[in-house]
Amino acid sequence: MRSRAGAVGVLVQIAFRNLFASTAKTLIVGGIILVGALLVVVGSSLLDTVDRGMRGSIQGSLAGHLQVYNARSKDDLALYGGMTGESQLEVIPDFAALKAVLEKVANVKDVVPMGIDQAMVSTGNELDVALEKLREDVRRRETGDASAERRRQYEAHKAHVRRMTELLQAELRESRSIADEKYLREREAEWKDLDRATAGAFWDGFDRDPLASLEFLENRVAPLSLSNGFTFIRYAGTDLDAYQRGFDRMRIVEGTTVPKGQRGILLGKLYAEDWLKLKTARRLDRIRDALHVQKKRIAEDEELSRWVKENQAATRDILMQLDPLRAEEATRRLRAALRSSRTDLHELLVELLTTDDRNFDERYAIFYRDLAPLLQLYMVKVGDSITIKAPSKSGYMSSVNVKVYGFAEFRGLEKSALAGIMSLMDLVSWRDLYGYVTAEKAAEIREIQRGAGARDLPREQAEAALFGSAAPAAVATGRAVRIDDPVLAGVAKRKADAALYSRVYSQAEIDHGVALNAAVTLHDPARLRQSMKDVKDALARAGMDMKVVDWQKASGLVGQFVSLARIILYTAVFIIFAVALVIINNAMVMATLQRVKEIGTVRAIGAQKRFVLAMLLLETGVVGVAFGVVGAALGAGVVWLIRARGGIPATNDQLYFFYSGPSLIPELGTASLGVALAIVAVVSLLSGVYPALLATRVTPLEAMQSGDD
Amino acid sequence: MPAIVAVENVSKIYTLGKTEVPALRGVSLQIHRGEFLSIAGPSGSGKTTLLNLIGCVDTPTAGRVMVDGKDTKDLSERALTDLRLHRIGFIFQTFNLVQVLSVFQNVEFPLLLQGGLKRKEREGRVRALLEAVGLAEHVRHRPSELSGGQRQRVAVARALVTRPPLVLADEPTANLDSQTGGHIIDLMKEMNSKDGTTFIFSTHDPKVMSHATAIVRIADGQVAGREAGAAAASGRR
Repeated sequence: MRSRAGAVGVLVQIAFRNLFASTAKTLIVGGIILVGALLVVVGSSLLDTVDRGMRGSIQGSLAGHLQVYNARSKDDLALYGGMTGESQLEVIPDFAALKAVLEKVANVKDVVPMGIDQAMVSTGNELDVALEKLREDVRRRETGDASAERRRQYEAHKAHVRRMTELLQAELRESRSIADEKYLREREAEWKDLDRATAGAFWDGFDRDPLASLEFLENRVAPLSLSNGFTFIRYAGTDLDAYQRGFDRMRIVEGTTVPKGQRGILLGKLYAEDWLKLKTARRLDRIRDALHVQKKRIAEDEELSRWVKENQAATRDILMQLDPLRAEEATRRLRAALRSSRTDLHELLVELLTTDDRNFDERYAIFYRDLAPLLQLYMVKVGDSITIKAPSKSGYMSSVNVKVYGFAEFRGLEKSALAGIMSLMDLVSWRDLYGYVTAEKAAEIREIQRGAGARDLPREQAEAALFGSAAPAAVATGRAVRIDDPVLAGVAKRKADAALYSRVYSQAEIDHGVALNAAVTLHDPARLRQSMKDVKDALARAGMDMKVVDWQKASGLVGQFVSLARIILYTAVFIIFAVALVIINNAMVMATLQRVKEIGTVRAIGAQKRFVLAMLLLETGVVGVAFGVVGAALGAGVVWLIRARGGIPATNDQLYFFYSGPSLIPELGTASLGVALAIVAVVSLLSGVYPALLATRVTPLEAMQSGDD
Repeated sequence: MPAIVAVENVSKIYTLGKTEVPALRGVSLQIHRGEFLSIAGPSGSGKTTLLNLIGCVDTPTAGRVMVDGKDTKDLSERALTDLRLHRIGFIFQTFNLVQVLSVFQNVEFPLLLQGGLKRKEREGRVRALLEAVGLAEHVRHRPSELSGGQRQRVAVARALVTRPPLVLADEPTANLDSQTGGHIIDLMKEMNSKDGTTFIFSTHDPKVMSHATAIVRIADGQVAGREAGAAAASGRR
């Protein structure tokens, strides 16, 4: 027994000493294994972090863990939009019924209703903004503020609006000169309104009835503005309260959340930056990012040079915003900041915005310090209400006014044009916009429209709709009723909006109604597969024809990135180790051939084949483990070093998305260490097997050959 | 007293590509315990082949080789290896020490493969043998630090450490100068007379041959004759 240990001892000694005896071979083989282990540790740490980050960003912003939607939908659910725009989904007729079923499933934490769509936001124009200011002045004057300061501001705002109407008239005159007869006849009334608004008589008489004058300008003149633009907005209508409970990545960067049960919208910060921000400011931001984060240079980059030129050319947007008082202030400030002798604000602005690599930071600071406070940087402010229009299900445009409570962004997706541009709206407004209302509300509207006698919803069916039914598909048609024509306008609408904004909807009102998809979050995400099956089973038992997909499938292309990154790493690891395997195998075969005589001698003296096999496997094994451990340790060191230096900075928006933040700070998982060591052990063993088998074929006869040893 | 080695009408044919090369053609030979036998013959005569067959590292094409009462043809590869380990000691022309092991470890190696001895016993036996071959001072050395003669002494010690009844030596002096070679043969002879270990060695050096108690001459793969060596008379006394 002792001697077995002795044989093992001598085996280990031979193996070890052989390693030291042939240093070159050991170092080559060991070096490859070391590098391999290092790469696996670093690579998988980085990737795990990317994976965890993206997973967190996607799950925590919109996807949850599972998504449930109507199985009769034409398209697959694509939370971030598909290849051909929004996916066409059949509605979930009664979210409350679905929620009741899902909430009973084990491991389900929250069920959040959603309706994702694109819509147009009418962003208003400079004239609207100026009129708003003027209205504010009028209001204050009426409440008794008669200070000289107020008076001066009122006159300045009036002059601003008057100048804008003149500019508008000039613009329209140009477009009229190329229009045909029919167009001109149709627009005759508009042209008369504009004539009136620019006439001296109108402005002389403005103060006699300022509110009526404002009303005229707001309703008849402002809509004529050519710069009255629309932007597209992608939003998710959702139960905002439930959303905030279930999703942790949304962060309000300005403003507040929408009060519980009320209508309102949280605009995506990225959307606001890209679409609502003053273009000049936005371009300055992007140039700054390019210079500081991506280390580009204006002089060398065509796009940056173009932005600078566009900024120089686009002073009109700024000039239009400034009433005479502010324009004067801006001129004063810019002259001081630029130490310029110019007196023309336009020229000063061009000078300010003529930037190069040397002066950019200074000019950027001047812009935000001196000019920005005088401007409205975003077309929409917190507290504003915006009009959102979208084609409803039947094809007509429907529109809702919602109050902007704040700007929101999703942690990790701040710069992702694909995933981070989302805005969040209350579910009730979404239903109005999408063209679906609850059965109760539809009935109510119809009663108002047709008089008390005209009911087209039979009582039994209405009851079924209220209390749920065993056949949800049948109820669906009765429950989802379209309204397509928003009628109210002007002052009446303003009042109606105010009433609408303060209306608080109960949880039942929010839940009882349609949704397009339901996000399900889980207590234990590790049991996702099982829970997915449980959810499917529960839905089948309840007779609900729903599709259940995991977060990754639901997030479409965006979700694929996670898998893609993983596949790339695994492929790289596979290739590295396949190459390593071949090289190590070759080195070991060569080494074996060099030791034929020694092996033959050992065999002649009386060592069995298995001794030789064990000896050689031990050699590669020892090299593999020793260098693998060192490589893994070095890898851990590299990961630590990356962390100590603040991570790998995201030098462009794509990387920002992959990193789920401004930099990738890798975390060393025990899993990646374990995997690295396991791979190394397997590879070194595999690469050692063939040479070892080759060695067992060496016969004792080899020992008898003459020749030096 | 039965022969320790009995070779009965053995032939061995090597195939080199398509041609068959007969190395041994009907060799018969009996070797008795305690003999110090030399197999002599010019190179290519088949003496190494004969030694390999006796040493169980090769098996005959025809005929029978009995070693220590066992027919080598009946034994598996594993059993042949065991037979070599326990019953035969080898001394090679090129010494064939394990380079990475020390002198002591090289000698100890067969004992470790055998197993069965306690550490103390084992080390005692190795030390005694190394003393007997005059290398007590060199136990910690590596083979590369030794001269040819010293290396062959280590090899002799390694061959004898398991106390085998039979030791085979293929041209043990071929790589040594004649004086050193003489010392090695003297050493082997000493072990032969002390323990009665049977030695079979091949050589074509007449001076070495002269130490043998019997000389078997091989030519063209056949036994050309067996004669008593010069040492026979003194050996039997």
